[in-house]
Amino acid sequence: MTGKVEFSKVSKSFGAVKALVEFDLSIEEGELVTLLGPSGCGKSTALRVAAGFETPDSGDVSIGGASILAQSANKRGIGMVFQNYSLFPHLTVTQNLEFGMRVRNIAREKRSARVGELLELVRLSGLSDRYPHQISGGQQQRVALARALAVEPRVLLLDEPLSALDATVRIEVREEIRRIQRASGIATIFVTHDQEEALAISDRICVMSNGKIEQVGAPDVVYRSPSTEFVARFVGKVNDIEVEVLSSTKARLRGHKHEIEIASAGNGGGAVGMARLLIRPEDVQIVRPDSARTNVRGTVKTINFGGATTTADIEIDGTTHLVRIADSTRNMQFRVGDPVNVAFDTERALLTRGGAA
Amino acid sequence: MRRGRVGSWLVLFLVFVYYLVPMISMTRFAFQRIPVIKLSLGNLFDKWTIAPLIETFKEPEFRSSGLLSVQLAIATAALTLVLLVPTMAVAHLRSKRMRRIIELSSTLPFVVPAIALVVGFAGAFRETLPILIRSPFGLVPLYVITALPFTHRAIENGLAALDLRTLVDASQSLGATWYRTVVFVIVPNIRASIATAAFLALTVVLGEFTIASLLLKNTLPLYLSFARGQNPQGAFAVGLVLILISTIFVASSNRLGKVVRT
Repeated sequence: MTGKVEFSKVSKSFGAVKALVEFDLSIEEGELVTLLGPSGCGKSTALRVAAGFETPDSGDVSIGGASILAQSANKRGIGMVFQNYSLFPHLTVTQNLEFGMRVRNIAREKRSARVGELLELVRLSGLSDRYPHQISGGQQQRVALARALAVEPRVLLLDEPLSALDATVRIEVREEIRRIQRASGIATIFVTHDQEEALAISDRICVMSNGKIEQVGAPDVVYRSPSTEFVARFVGKVNDIEVEVLSSTKARLRGHKHEIEIASAGNGGGAVGMARLLIRPEDVQIVRPDSARTNVRGTVKTINFGGATTTADIEIDGTTHLVRIADSTRNMQFRVGDPVNVAFDTERALLTRGGAA
Repeated sequence: MRRGRVGSWLVLFLVFVYYLVPMISMTRFAFQRIPVIKLSLGNLFDKWTIAPLIETFKEPEFRSSGLLSVQLAIATAALTLVLLVPTMAVAHLRSKRMRRIIELSSTLPFVVPAIALVVGFAGAFRETLPILIRSPFGLVPLYVITALPFTHRAIENGLAALDLRTLVDASQSLGATWYRTVVFVIVPNIRASIATAAFLALTVVLGEFTIASLLLKNTLPLYLSFARGQNPQGAFAVGLVLILISTIFVASSNRLGKVVRT
């Protein structure tokens, strides 16, 4: 039986280091929530508290409404896939998959049938007799996922399972994990520091910093409407532009006469004075110098071909403002050195008064 | 480069001579029916016999002391592994400080002389647990300590080569108890180290003299020392057999290590 997972005001310190501070999060049945943040932000600690490998200083963790803190790790019915290859090196793929079922004294016939199903699920049917060192890293992580699912866990915890894999395999295994998670319908917590991975795989993302939650939301919401400066900087790329706020609707790039609309810029709009505008590359467009849309002038400094998209660095009026601009490759019609005008779509931008990070 | 290689071969040859000459002398003395004074290169292949060994095997004192030493060796190896594997696994998982303390403790037999160990042991247990002094198996705890510098290092190497934290967490997340984790996950993955530690413990016990002598236990080394006066050829023959057994133990543990790694 799976269930909703709830962290209620969970705190955990290691000496003077506060790894989790009143951590509140709920994960619905069948949902995949990613804990995203830099190293040391507390995301793995949250996972290890849920798994029973760490005891919180305060707070509670429940599955299906019942607290699990009193249960030892081996009684929680939680499946876990680890960052490091965790297959038992002395056992074959089949024996690894059977391990949890043997612990539960499941009959041999049932075990064999389940192993067959799982191998099919992770598409590794031909590798049942191999030892872990005889299969690739990606295959090992797929077996580890199958092994975690073999015991029909109530919750699935994935602790950076892709970080040891190379880029191509990572995407492949990521998609496999998502497909299998959807098929199994188990509440899943996925930990990563890779924002691209989080955006691709999650139903919701929980961005963490210094043991606290910065924002929880669907990937597009977290990306499009970051609620804090940390989220804006950590999830995706962002342009950090110093501006002087002139009114509730107008701002000027620092040291320039160019004015931009800030009517919709979030947080901190209103008060006049110096501020910083955090804006996604795709919310900045370069247009022809004769365009009437904007009077912010710049020069194309570099164009970076990135496959599906191309980015460009724009120096505004030969001074300090460099802006990275995303544009589709097909529409890129400028060259290095071209004079351009730059338009800022500030609807989803964040205006902040804090110091530069 | 060439001079370096010649130097290496020279060192190897000297080591070979240093070890092999006494071994050959010992073998000839034990297994050739020729008076020592007449042993020469000319009669290198004459009058070889295993009679001294067979005669010694027939002696009841040899058989009882040999049996005792084998029993002590097995008990020491077993107790060492039962104590050391879980303790060191826990130390690896929980506390670096504990690891350092165990490491330091394991070197104590190098600095605490056997006589001090026996005096302390006898003083502590003569009144409280006299069976440890009376029974020859009271030697087992002392032998565990004596073998610790070797057995600890063997187990430590095995555990350090594993990602123990991940394996233990994975095992527990799959529902295994701590006991099951030790027996079915940790032990199979350090079996080469366990075999090495066991063989080293056996070797130490089969060669230990001082403690058994001080506690008046009739182990094989004591018998050999005694028999050297009565039946010197037999004593040397048994000594050679023991050296051979020890060599096989060490070679087996190395071989096992290679098999496990491939």
